[in-house]
Amino acid sequence: MPLLTVKNLAKYYGSLAALNGLDLTVEKGQIFGLLGPNGSGKTTLLAILLDVIHASGGNFAWFDGTEGDHARNRIGALLETPNFYPYLNADQNLSLVASIKRVSNPPLDSLLELVQLKDRRRSPFKTYSLGMKQRLALAACLVGDPDVLVLDEPTNGLDPQGMVEMRQIIQKIAAQGKTIILASHILDEVEKICSHVAIIKQGKLLATGAIGSILSDQPTVEIEAPDPEKLFQFLSNCFLVKKITRQDTRFILELAPGRNAGELNQLAFEAHIVLNHLVMKKQSLEVEFLEITRT
Amino acid sequence: MNPLHLLKLEWSKYFPNGSFRFFVGLYAGSFTLVVFLARSVGHNMTFDSNGTTSHPLAGIFDYPNNWGLLACIGSWMNVFVLGTLGVFMITMEFSNRTLRQNVIFGLTRLEVAVSKLVWAAALALGATVFYLFLGFGGEILDGSPGLPPAQDVLFFFIQVLGYLLLSTLVGLIVRQTALAVLGYLAYVLFLETACRWIFYFSIAKTRLLLFLPDQVLGALTPLPVPETVNHYVSSNPFTRPLSPSEIAVTALVYLGLFAAIICRRILKSDL
Repeated sequence: MPLLTVKNLAKYYGSLAALNGLDLTVEKGQIFGLLGPNGSGKTTLLAILLDVIHASGGNFAWFDGTEGDHARNRIGALLETPNFYPYLNADQNLSLVASIKRVSNPPLDSLLELVQLKDRRRSPFKTYSLGMKQRLALAACLVGDPDVLVLDEPTNGLDPQGMVEMRQIIQKIAAQGKTIILASHILDEVEKICSHVAIIKQGKLLATGAIGSILSDQPTVEIEAPDPEKLFQFLSNCFLVKKITRQDTRFILELAPGRNAGELNQLAFEAHIVLNHLVMKKQSLEVEFLEITRT
Repeated sequence: MNPLHLLKLEWSKYFPNGSFRFFVGLYAGSFTLVVFLARSVGHNMTFDSNGTTSHPLAGIFDYPNNWGLLACIGSWMNVFVLGTLGVFMITMEFSNRTLRQNVIFGLTRLEVAVSKLVWAAALALGATVFYLFLGFGGEILDGSPGLPPAQDVLFFFIQVLGYLLLSTLVGLIVRQTALAVLGYLAYVLFLETACRWIFYFSIAKTRLLLFLPDQVLGALTPLPVPETVNHYVSSNPFTRPLSPSEIAVTALVYLGLFAAIICRRILKSDL
C-alpha cells in the first residue's frame, strides 16, 4: 500500500504554473528526497500535501485515503521556517502541538534531549537561534511518534555545525524505520540520507526512482592541465571520452564504457599533455541533477 | 471535533501572551474607570446637592436604566478594546505563521474555524460576566442594581460577540496587524457612518441605512434616555431607533453572516 499517492497535481497562480500535473508515489519506509532548483515547486507540493494551500487540480491521498482529514495527525512536518508562538517556551509549544495531535503525556524530556534543547526548554522561542528553532521544529515533528516526517529544507540557514547536527538527527530518525520525505537543494544531503529521489523542475516531475537508478554506474574523471585549451582540443577528439563538462580550467569527463583513467592519462601524455590534476569520481547526484534539470 | 478541546487550545495560545493580557486588563480597567467617572460627573450634573433631580437625564441612573447605562458605557470598550483585540489575535497568527502551522500539526481547517468562533463566544461571555460583576459589585451605579434585565445582558453579549467576529473577519482579510487595526477602527469610527450619510443625502433617504452592521451592533446598547428625549429623536424617521426585535434579528443575522464568512475564508483560502 503506498503511503502517499499524488496524481496529476496542479497549482496555478494566475498564468504561472507552480505545479503542472505532478504524479508521485512514496512507499512506506522510504527516505524520499524531493530535489529541484529554487522555485521548482517543492514547497508548493508539500504545502498542498499538508493542506495549507489548495491545489488547482489533481488529487493526493495519504495512507491510501483511509485517514481522511486526520491524516496529518500521523505526519510530523516542518515546512519552510519553524513557526511557533514566540512568547511560549519549548515545553509550552510542544505541549500545544501534543494537544493538537491529541497526544496525552508526550515524552517532552526525550524529545528535547534528542534535539539537544533540554537546557533551554524554559526559554521563550523568540530567544532561540535559528539552529535551535529548527531543532525545536524537528522535536515538534516527532510528537506523537508519527509514521511520516515531511521536512522542507531542514538545514536551511544553519551554520556548518548545525547542518551536521541536524543531518545526524535525521539519520537517527531514519534508522528507526520511519518514512521521511525530504525536500532539499543540498544534493549531498539527499545523496547521503535518501533511498529514493524525485527531481522536479518548473512544477514538473523530471525523474524519480531509487537513488541508485538515478545515478549512473560509470565513474567520472576530473582532470586539469597547464594549457586548458590544448587539453580541450585533445579531449574533443579522444575516443575514450563520452562526455565533457568544463568547469573553468577543469574538465569533468564521462568515459566510454569499459575505459579507465589510466588509458586517458597515457594518451594525454603521448599527445604531449601533462596532467597536473586527475581525480576519479563516482558519478555524483549533483552531476546527474544538473544534467536532468538542464533539459 | 470537540469545541471544549478547541477552547482549551485557544486559551493555551493566548493567555500567556503579554498583549492579550494587556488588552484584557485595559478592557477591565477602562470599563471600571469610565463607570466611576460617569457616576461622579453624571451625578453632579443631574442631581442637586440635596439629591433631587435637576436634569431630564437623571432617570438613566435609576433601575433598570442603570443596567442600560452600564451596557452603553461598556459598548465603547467593546468596540475599541475588544474589537482591536479581536484583530490582534487573528493577525498575530498570520504574522507568526502559526495558523498554518496548526493545520500542519494536524488541526483540520474546520477545527481552526470553529476554534476562532468558540474563542470569540468565550470572550464575549467573559465580557458579559464582567459587565454583571460591575453592575452588582459595589453599587458602582447609583440606585439599586436589582436583577439585570435579561434583554440588556443578552444584547450586551451579542454586541461583544458581534464586534469580535467583525474584527476577526477584518483581520482574516487584511492579515497585517497595523493595517487591519486601522481598517477596523476606520470602519467603526467613520467609514460606515460616512457611507450612510453619503447614501442618505445623495441616493435615497431610506431607513434601511440603519441596518448596517456597526449601526445595529451599536444599537444593541443604546443610552437609556428618558421618553421625552426619545420622542424628539423618534420624530425623524431616519433617526428613529430600531425596535428591540429589529435590532435582535438583524444582529443575529450579522453574527451568522460574519461566522459564515470567517469559516469560508479559513476553509477556502491559502494559509
